[in-house]
Amino acid sequence: MTTAPPLATELRASDTVRATPGRKRRKKSPRRLLNYLYVAPAVLFVAATTLYPLYYNVSLSLYDASLKNFLQGTLEFVGLANYQEQLANPAVWNGLGVSLIYTISTIVLMFVLGLSLAVFFNRSFPGKHLLRAVLFLPYILPTVVSANIWRWILDGSYGLVNYVLMSVGILSEPVFWLGRTETALLSVILATAWTMAPFAMLLLLAGLQDIPKGLYEAATLDGSSKWQEFRHITLPLLRPVALVVGLLGFIYTFRTFDTIFIMTRGGPGDATTVLPVLAYNEGFVNFELGQGAAINTLLLVIPTVLALIYFRATKKE
Amino acid sequence: MVKKQRITTAVATLLTIAYLLPVYWMVATSLKSKSDIFNSPPDLVPSPLSFDAYAETVFGDGAVWQGILSSTIISVPTLILTMLLAIPAAYGLARFSLKLTGAIMLLMLGAQMLPSISLALPLFAIFSEYNLVDTYASLIIANIALALPFAIVILRPYMLNVPQELLDAARIDGCTTFGSFVRIALPLMRPGLIMAATLTFVSAWGEFVFGLTLATSDDMQPITVVLNRFVAQFGTQWGNLMAVSTIVAIPIILIFIFLQKYVVAGLSEGGVKD
Repeated sequence: MTTAPPLATELRASDTVRATPGRKRRKKSPRRLLNYLYVAPAVLFVAATTLYPLYYNVSLSLYDASLKNFLQGTLEFVGLANYQEQLANPAVWNGLGVSLIYTISTIVLMFVLGLSLAVFFNRSFPGKHLLRAVLFLPYILPTVVSANIWRWILDGSYGLVNYVLMSVGILSEPVFWLGRTETALLSVILATAWTMAPFAMLLLLAGLQDIPKGLYEAATLDGSSKWQEFRHITLPLLRPVALVVGLLGFIYTFRTFDTIFIMTRGGPGDATTVLPVLAYNEGFVNFELGQGAAINTLLLVIPTVLALIYFRATKKE
Repeated sequence: MVKKQRITTAVATLLTIAYLLPVYWMVATSLKSKSDIFNSPPDLVPSPLSFDAYAETVFGDGAVWQGILSSTIISVPTLILTMLLAIPAAYGLARFSLKLTGAIMLLMLGAQMLPSISLALPLFAIFSEYNLVDTYASLIIANIALALPFAIVILRPYMLNVPQELLDAARIDGCTTFGSFVRIALPLMRPGLIMAATLTFVSAWGEFVFGLTLATSDDMQPITVVLNRFVAQFGTQWGNLMAVSTIVAIPIILIFIFLQKYVVAGLSEGGVKD
């Protein structure tokens, strides 16, 4: 699974609960230092296992570091040569294009599915909680499992999707979804959106419940239709949550490696070779650690820039 | 009104079943005989039930057992160590007004958003400097790196919700800070603890990228990577593949059945109210 929701939890928690209540007296400094002891082990661990590797990645990207060079300790400093090479590499531009199409299409599909489910589950009926919880299963299934399920369902010869589409007459002959350039990307988008939509549903449902009921009552009194209510109350007031879903969706989809790797290995050809798959191929198939590290940096820059734009924009609002 | 609600329940049930059909199809396929899998029209319910796929993959091949063993050796210490590090950290971040709280929470939020593949490459390089590549230790460290920021972010709001007055009262009654933490705070945040522990285990069990890149020899690889190996090996022997997929999914499905209250309630904490 991808671990997403706590951001929303945290954003909300920090909105409502400000730091420690009832602590007006300033503690003496030894005590303050002692308090840091609770936090220190975890912070040091996270720094050592995320910040340090990120720094290491950037520094590795400045060396001619094939695995052989690396293991023999004969790294040669090449400055930005790896970046120059990768930016001139058509595979990187193709990867960026595929990544963007994959990410944006997945977000759109995830959002439409998630919002439909959220609107439906935003009413009260017996069994609602159970069903809402059960719907969550695809999100926490191991991605290797869901990717394999979709490989089977989309199989050209005996897959369920072909069978259904052919029996209702949409297809006249079987489609080899994962084997064809035109349909492979669509297939991985579908599989990813299926696992992510419950997460979108959860956040959007929270957003729906924050909309004051009185607004709908007033609209009903004014004689507006359900669609008008949805269009003029629900959608505008859902905007902040929708933006969070979009941003998190982007961050978590843009980094997706396992679903695509299991379903297509990036193929056929390079039809589904997103940037994470490219970084893996460069680092762990070609064993060009320096080149892989350079792609990694690109992979990190784009979501970071997007997140910064988002936080800038929300601060202004 | 009641009748209308019943209809809504029926529609919701159908929607949910339709959405989860792929999961059912995995289990159903794993229980069909080799020839029944290729029936057209496909049998919705496997009949007769066949356990051949399980016999062939689980009992005919040691790799599945080895994968389950590796995944357990990786997931359980990841779970224990993550909780041991996360609980005091979340406590400290919620209870004390530390100057660095904002920066630390930002680090945790940022860290849990990193692409695994971007960590895998430098971690591979770092671990190989310390001769840790292809050891359980490296896989456990990498898995904690993924799970710890997440666990802290989950736990902190629960800590914030423990009333300071209760802790103060315990202190007045003679508890030490640590004593009041263990006796008052921990029991009060049980749902948060169960949730953080569950999601830590779920993420470690399903983890794939580190297993793929850091476990270079076959007998180190977690069950997720073994499944990936089967994809290459079995190709389109769907019965076998779905059997192994089901085995990988079973612990997660069981956890989901027994703990979904905590998982979903916890994930929606602060948002979905009723």
